Amino acid sequence: MPNDNEILVRAGDLRKSYGEHEAVRGVDFEIRRGEAFGFLGANGAGKSTTMRMIGCVSQPTGGELEVFGRDPHTQGAEIRARLGVVPQDNTLDGMLTVFENLVVYAGYFGIKKKVAKAKAAELLEFVQLSSRAKDQVNELSGGMQRRLAIARSLINEPELVILDEPTTGLDPQARHLVWERLFQLKQRGVSILLTTHYMDEAEQLCDRLVVMDEGRIIASGSPRELIDTHVTKEVVELRFGPAHTTELAELALTLNGIGAQIEALPDKILVYTNDADDTNAALEARDIRPTSTLARRATLEDVFLRLTGRALVEDEA
Amino acid sequence: MTALDSASLDSAPQIDRTAPTTAQAAWRAFNLQLALYKHVWHGTVFTSVLLPILYMVSIGIGVGAYIDSSSVGGLTYAEFIAPGLICSVAVMMLGNDMVFPVFGGYADWGGHYLAQRATPLRPVDMLNGHLAYAAVFRPFTNCTIVAVVLAFFGVYTTSWWAAFAVIAAALVSASLAPWLHFWASSLKNDANLNMIFRFAIMPISLFSGVFFPASEMPGFLQPLVWASPLWHGTELARAATADVAPALPPLVHIAYLAALAVAGWFAARWRIQKHLNF
Repeated sequence: MPNDNEILVRAGDLRKSYGEHEAVRGVDFEIRRGEAFGFLGANGAGKSTTMRMIGCVSQPTGGELEVFGRDPHTQGAEIRARLGVVPQDNTLDGMLTVFENLVVYAGYFGIKKKVAKAKAAELLEFVQLSSRAKDQVNELSGGMQRRLAIARSLINEPELVILDEPTTGLDPQARHLVWERLFQLKQRGVSILLTTHYMDEAEQLCDRLVVMDEGRIIASGSPRELIDTHVTKEVVELRFGPAHTTELAELALTLNGIGAQIEALPDKILVYTNDADDTNAALEARDIRPTSTLARRATLEDVFLRLTGRALVEDEA
Repeated sequence: MTALDSASLDSAPQIDRTAPTTAQAAWRAFNLQLALYKHVWHGTVFTSVLLPILYMVSIGIGVGAYIDSSSVGGLTYAEFIAPGLICSVAVMMLGNDMVFPVFGGYADWGGHYLAQRATPLRPVDMLNGHLAYAAVFRPFTNCTIVAVVLAFFGVYTTSWWAAFAVIAAALVSASLAPWLHFWASSLKNDANLNMIFRFAIMPISLFSGVFFPASEMPGFLQPLVWASPLWHGTELARAATADVAPALPPLVHIAYLAALAVAGWFAARWRIQKHLNF
């Protein structure tokens, strides 16, 4: 019987360098069986590099890493036999049909053809692609290809599924369908490891996550813990017509003393507060009249902004 | 009930969690190529059936009518070119099997090596699987078909010994395939992919004594001839189909092709490992 507290992945001072560039600068974390664990961070933060090391396709250049209690350096093939991987760019074979993609992939794990065919049919049902089984992959939409990549990652009944930005580039409908399937997997006790730069995705799917920035882990915990620890309960967003960057930075100075912290972004000012009503009253009292005001609960996006001083999207160019 | 029910996920009774042996892993990687071949096999009808017929009718018989058999070792011209054709088809097939499909293995429009990298297969297994397809399966199936088609033209003087021409063709494939793999794995962009046809496959086909005795080539081009795997293969194949003594002892030809194959395998293994260990 699997032990729920069993540690599937353990990293200590894990490092990865490419020449002079240090992509991962000493990270420590543990991933337990049955949990959904997320790496959150902007592009270039080091999360995909960390995932590749866990997936045993990239050798660490320092520190320690254990996956299923094994050494990725010497036992990579055994570890990969127990992993399911959904890479960022799917890597589906466009010349094969949807069904063939699954059956051929099953073969890499030594799954007999008869079993592979049965599993492929069941997985296509799971990701709602049964009707497209005979189509070539190139004929599928981006969302469908993503679902197929997820189905493929499950063909070997993995103990840990690794998803690298599972919904990047998908339209909102396709994203929600992918989320729903991942949520179902999670409910069935499949351990999930994902990277994302979508805060809502991390909040919805992850039991625990780490925030990475410039190759380091700068915070860790459950989404709720991170919000409670690093930001206030609420955030008031203030917009001032066409004013941007420099003007907003100057305007932010006039807000001193209102809320717990002020953050000027290129298009708006964020006021972190535990009581949005009090904050609005304080703004009125100082005769500060934004063109629009939005009070909302704090999110992981705010945690990231607070911790790094910049938005995730800034690094997406 | 689906495969994703928790009971099934916990037990996973049918899944092998051990690392595959080298042979098992190569077989698994080979199966991808076989699955792809099922989609394109009809295209190979041209290479294996129509192309040798066209060559035989136009060059073997047509051009052959103007050629004195004494200039080609006392054989008819059709008999002279037949063994080289079998080996040439092997080289042509490599152009299809080991250039775009290898480069595409790392690219976002193919990516099969990248997909396999997430499985128990190791880079060397992917190489071995691809080579098993291109340097063993393809010559032994398609070159056999070519040899059978040519038999209808009555171009073999040695009867069943002619079958050894297919082995010679396979040796040519084995000697070139890993080098093509190495080269296609080293390219940064696909703009240069066609260079291999212009600067390797085409010259090899022309300077290997397929259509005329290589000894007729100018002296300064002789080193090119000796270096060409197709020349060594053609010499062996001609010995098999027409009982003509090869230019060098058969073992020397075989040793050269085998040495190229082994050196190429090490080079290709180094390259794919470097490419796939990011």
